[in-house]
Amino acid sequence: MKFNTRKSLRAVVFSVGTSASLLAAVAAQAKDTVELGFIGPLTGGVSSMGLGGRNSAELAVQLRNADPNSKYHYELVALDDECKPNVGVQVATKLATDRKVVGTIAHYCSAVAMGTVDVYHRFGLPMTVWGAVLPDITYGNDYPEITRVNGTMINQNEKAASVMTGLGYKTFAIIHDTTDYGKGHNTYLTQFLTEGGASVVGAFGVTADQQDFTAELTQVKALNPDVVVYAGLTPGGVRVRQQMEKLGIEAVFEGVSGIKSDAFFEGLGGELAEGTMTFLEGAPAEKLPGGAYFLKEYEAAGFDSPPEAYGPFAFAAMDLLIDAVEASGPDRKAIVEYMGGVKEHASITGPITFDDHGQNTVALITAYVAQDGKWVVWEDSEYASGARKLVAPK
Amino acid sequence: MAGALVVLGAGHYGWALLMAEETWQVVGLLALAGMATIAAYKTGFVRRVERDWAEAEPQLNRLAFAVLIGLILVLAGSHFALLMISTVLLYFIASLGLNIQFGFTGLVNFAGAAFFGAGAYTAAVLGAQALIPPLLILIAGGIVAMAISLPLLVPIVRTTGHYAAVVTIAFGVLFRTFLEVNEILGGPQGLMVESMKLPGWDFYNAPNLFGFETSFYLNYALMAAGLAALVFALFRRLERSWIGLHMDAVRLDETAAACFGISVRKTKILAFLLGNLILGVSGALYGMMISFIAPASFTFSDSLLLVSIVLLGGLGSPWGGVVAATIVVLLPEKLQLLQEYRFLLFSILVILVLLFRPEGLLPRHLRNFFPNRRTGA
Repeated sequence: MKFNTRKSLRAVVFSVGTSASLLAAVAAQAKDTVELGFIGPLTGGVSSMGLGGRNSAELAVQLRNADPNSKYHYELVALDDECKPNVGVQVATKLATDRKVVGTIAHYCSAVAMGTVDVYHRFGLPMTVWGAVLPDITYGNDYPEITRVNGTMINQNEKAASVMTGLGYKTFAIIHDTTDYGKGHNTYLTQFLTEGGASVVGAFGVTADQQDFTAELTQVKALNPDVVVYAGLTPGGVRVRQQMEKLGIEAVFEGVSGIKSDAFFEGLGGELAEGTMTFLEGAPAEKLPGGAYFLKEYEAAGFDSPPEAYGPFAFAAMDLLIDAVEASGPDRKAIVEYMGGVKEHASITGPITFDDHGQNTVALITAYVAQDGKWVVWEDSEYASGARKLVAPK
Repeated sequence: MAGALVVLGAGHYGWALLMAEETWQVVGLLALAGMATIAAYKTGFVRRVERDWAEAEPQLNRLAFAVLIGLILVLAGSHFALLMISTVLLYFIASLGLNIQFGFTGLVNFAGAAFFGAGAYTAAVLGAQALIPPLLILIAGGIVAMAISLPLLVPIVRTTGHYAAVVTIAFGVLFRTFLEVNEILGGPQGLMVESMKLPGWDFYNAPNLFGFETSFYLNYALMAAGLAALVFALFRRLERSWIGLHMDAVRLDETAAACFGISVRKTKILAFLLGNLILGVSGALYGMMISFIAPASFTFSDSLLLVSIVLLGGLGSPWGGVVAATIVVLLPEKLQLLQEYRFLLFSILVILVLLFRPEGLLPRHLRNFFPNRRTGA
């Protein structure tokens, strides 16, 4: 009887280990195994982003393991930060103190990354951010361990300012929510617009869940700007656009990455949304330099959830980390040094170049315009081709 | 004897669980715990342990503390294990605070994480000023948590049962919203927290034990262990005192308690404030240890986690709290290997435990007025 329970227990344990990992273990015998980490939100409200990132990182590892020319066999250690700073510190400590792990890519949520950068620095673990966008993660410290492949709101606003001024718009009114997200966008957009020769005629801070923007918009109407910018998330963007219409403000409506969602159209209906501009880090996967290749491999690997917006970045970050291990060996210090000198490194999201804070300076930003109830890449839209027209500059 | 054996065994088991890395080790250890429990019931070992505990609780408590310190010292070099031990201990302390409210007095507090967070935020703000010594910051964390619960006293005392619970839920949501819109407190992005400092002893640096390089988390583990022992002793003394009796009376029957001249209002106020004080103190030390806090760490679901420690361990049972805190904190972490499915398995385990032990893992026994009494049996 006792023997039987033990036997069945063993059977259960064996069935837990997937056949894939068994096969991988056999293949690994020829090469040394190197462990690489992944941290992201695998459970909770934004888990779809985390799972997409995890799968993409897993894909990068699988593709490299299938490559007979790779020097090592790679293994992914994926951990869940639940998008909570305290859990993030916990799993970062777990990964950073595990001497077998030589590097990691981590974090979709900015608040979590802000809490964990100290942990990576303290234990000397090279970490590349694959999703979090707050500038302070790389610019708020001098840690050589921390790098980031995706763009920040700085890059986003640089692009936003150059596109809008390029279209001839000169005067802007900014309504922003008072979270770090909204305030950051306001600061950087103002900076780049001013540098580009345009002027910000008014900036208004609102709370993140404000319902009525009539007071701010009445002032905006008096200022008569070319463009009204809302720096915040979709619900606020929908209301500002609706109330602009009510007050009869004739101006282009521009948002930030936070309003680029399908819910924007559900809230507004196609007609009011028409001609709204917004900007987002990255690009639709199929538009990326290596996007077709990435999507094909992702499809072939048979993951049960899509890569989501930041999957390609997770793939690029993991690929870069593996390149670092191939070039300088499975040693944390050597990898940190390698990351410090990354220039024009080929990746599926375009070439990666880190500045002295480890931030990718050539981060890709895409402009979108609302056309027929969909977000269309600006360059492909009828607005860019001249078939339709935005509200003209005054 | 049986009691001492259980304490030593639990210490060893804790070590094994902390060290277990592979899935089969974790699953094996869980199965072992399940089988050992069943075996202990079948052989009558449980009754002997219970009798030992009733006869010689102080000695066994001291032994448990010694085993805990021993465990911490054995793991002195491993950062992660010590972080987990400290987290378990701090959640345990917080659960003792909730137990005074919930287990003794019957006040359901669904804003535990808010008061815990109030302590952590106090540590962040006061630590940044560096005006008062960090040890006092711990106490300040408790006092602030207590102070922000003052406005809640009126609705808590005026309502009973479910209504009081709703009041605390509302407060928890309010607290988080307040943090998110508050610029000075870091808004949604959170705040850095200074580490703990005692005179001549900075917790940021790793202590050097006999020329052996240790983890800086050793500081926090030892401090959390000390704090846990202190709060535990207080908790036991409170339970044996007339205040504890009043609290039990209020929980069991408010009308009867009032008939016997017990002030229901005073008892509730005392339990609520004292519980929040303990929550705040543990939150302050937790904030210092994690060194970064944000509103997302103190949500309603974290409050539920604290309440679930109390329920899983058994209402009013501190030893149950130890076991439950270990399960609630350590198990999801150990199940990281299952990635997105870990909370599924964790929830199933919790439901199973409550299915077979509806009163919690270690239900509270009758209070032991004379812990050193020999029954002679």
